[in-house]
Amino acid sequence: MSFVCPGCSCLCDDIEIVDGRILHACRRGEEIFEKYKENRAKPMVKGKEVDIDSAIEEATEVLKDSKNTVIYGMDTTTVEAQQLGIELAEKLNAYIDDNSSFCLGEFVEAILRKELPTTTLEDVRDRAYVMVYWGANPFHSLSRHMSRYSYYPRGAKRPRGYEEDRFLVVVDVRRSETAKLAKKNAKFIQVDNDDELVDSFFKVMEGKAAKYAKEAGIILNEMKKSDLNVIFGGLGLKYGLKDLGKFVEMVRKMNEVAPLYFIPAGFHANMRGFNETLFEKTGYVNKYSFKDGKGDVDFAFTSLLQNGKVDTAVIIGTDPVSSLPYDVASKLKEVKTIVIDPRMSPTARVADIIIPSAVSGIEMGGTMVRSDGARIKLEVIEERDVNDIYILKKIEEGL
Amino acid sequence: MALNPMDIYKLLPKTNCKKCGEATCMSFAFKLLNRERKLEECTPLYEDKKYERQRKKLEEMLKPLEEATETGLIVDEGLCTGCGNCVVVCPVHVEKDPKGAAVGKGITIDDPILRVEDGAVKVINMQACRRYGKNRVLCVVCRENCPTDAIRFLEG
Ligand code: SF4
Ligand code: SF4
Ligand code: SF4
Ligand code: SF4
Repeated sequence: MSFVCPGCSCLCDDIEIVDGRILHACRRGEEIFEKYKENRAKPMVKGKEVDIDSAIEEATEVLKDSKNTVIYGMDTTTVEAQQLGIELAEKLNAYIDDNSSFCLGEFVEAILRKELPTTTLEDVRDRAYVMVYWGANPFHSLSRHMSRYSYYPRGAKRPRGYEEDRFLVVVDVRRSETAKLAKKNAKFIQVDNDDELVDSFFKVMEGKAAKYAKEAGIILNEMKKSDLNVIFGGLGLKYGLKDLGKFVEMVRKMNEVAPLYFIPAGFHANMRGFNETLFEKTGYVNKYSFKDGKGDVDFAFTSLLQNGKVDTAVIIGTDPVSSLPYDVASKLKEVKTIVIDPRMSPTARVADIIIPSAVSGIEMGGTMVRSDGARIKLEVIEERDVNDIYILKKIEEGL
Repeated sequence: MALNPMDIYKLLPKTNCKKCGEATCMSFAFKLLNRERKLEECTPLYEDKKYERQRKKLEEMLKPLEEATETGLIVDEGLCTGCGNCVVVCPVHVEKDPKGAAVGKGITIDDPILRVEDGAVKVINMQACRRYGKNRVLCVVCRENCPTDAIRFLEG
């Protein structure tokens, strides 16, 4: 039987465990399977160990008293748990946000609003010719992306894989590990400014001179050879672009030359699931306020903390103390913090209440959404009853 | 970091004393590289104190030889991230595992050359590599597509 790796948004579904050895998972994925028993959180209230139900009850009491709550995270839990988290936020009239507000949320939103055309990774494997990794270095965060879905595998209509049937483009500010693989049938474009490349694509399509005219010209010409070309956009693209609208417009315009699709290359395993689940409910993908009935930059977790807008934070399966800048994370001290996490993360260490939960994909089944939007069913290796679903349900019932 | 016989030769005693069974130190160097001889067979290196530093250097230099497989392929597991590129590109795998490695999935055949196990690539069945045996070819496909330079070949 095969397992699904919850290590990143590739959600590789071919992991095998044979004689205690974990086969096919990359290093990051393997560590989850190998070490999920290590560094586990214990139920705690204000530094004292308690039983799990007391921790949940205590959290419920805190939430009852709270006036402004934010629920944050859930990018590593299942869609089913995300739904409960969103329900809880609604019931509490709370704010809700996840890592995507400083990651690739905007791109997912543009896809869900049908502004950016998209496709599946299976179609990429079977049909894609030009593939552009733009500000994305899968080597770091999505180790198997290129070998499983994009450049290397042979596909139904691409039987010779990378050797002849693919054209790889890597756009980055530096010669990344991925850029080093751009050898034959490939192009590495080192940019200082991503907007200039966007601009060059426009200009070349209009027949004008441009900074990256040569590169853009080659890519547009190569694209004509296929009915499926794709851009994988990563964090580098998000932070490199001043104007997402212009990029969206560029993709649309390039589609007049040949079919071009966009797939986000973000890391968190089920970030897209969070975006989609919240979008279905509210029409926004993140930084949403149920009190105000809309999404806004002011409702991003970081803004809420910095502006002292919340008195309680429920942090689920994410570790802002490690991932946010110190001056933001240190504001957590000023609010009541409830951490729901399988692990004793640095954030759990400073929390007022810790509720230990289960590792999704290992101890809890359910659904996650891959970077391209495919819904993947997780397998369970060792079921654990106290999981995010159990905890969130209990809190909601207790309110 | 390819080894070459000249670098080895420079550190040998260069006396051509023949105690190793070879006519010259240079030919001993060649055989060392091909793993037909072992360093210990040059007894002067071990008996004469003045060669001690050279010997230590040689031992250091020849270490990868012991780790290398029959085809001279060396995987540095510390560098490997388990990305699977090498497994998927290997032409032997593509031919033998059309529904697995060839299309990007974890390799399904029982005796692959390479397989990602516990997060890093392991050499399972070197005999199947195109660099092995009588009709060998100098394939470098796996190395060329490794993002971390975790794969090396002895002869460069
Ligand atoms: S690429 Fe991602 S999903 Fe696939 S094995 Fe690695 S961590 Fe797991
Ligand atoms: S035993 Fe050593 S010194 Fe003598 S010929 Fe052989 S390699 Fe040279
Ligand atoms: S050298 Fe060639 S045949 Fe041998 S493992 Fe590497 S890719 Fe496969
Ligand atoms: S290509 Fe390199 S990093 Fe990737 S699995 Fe093979 S040896 Fe490891």
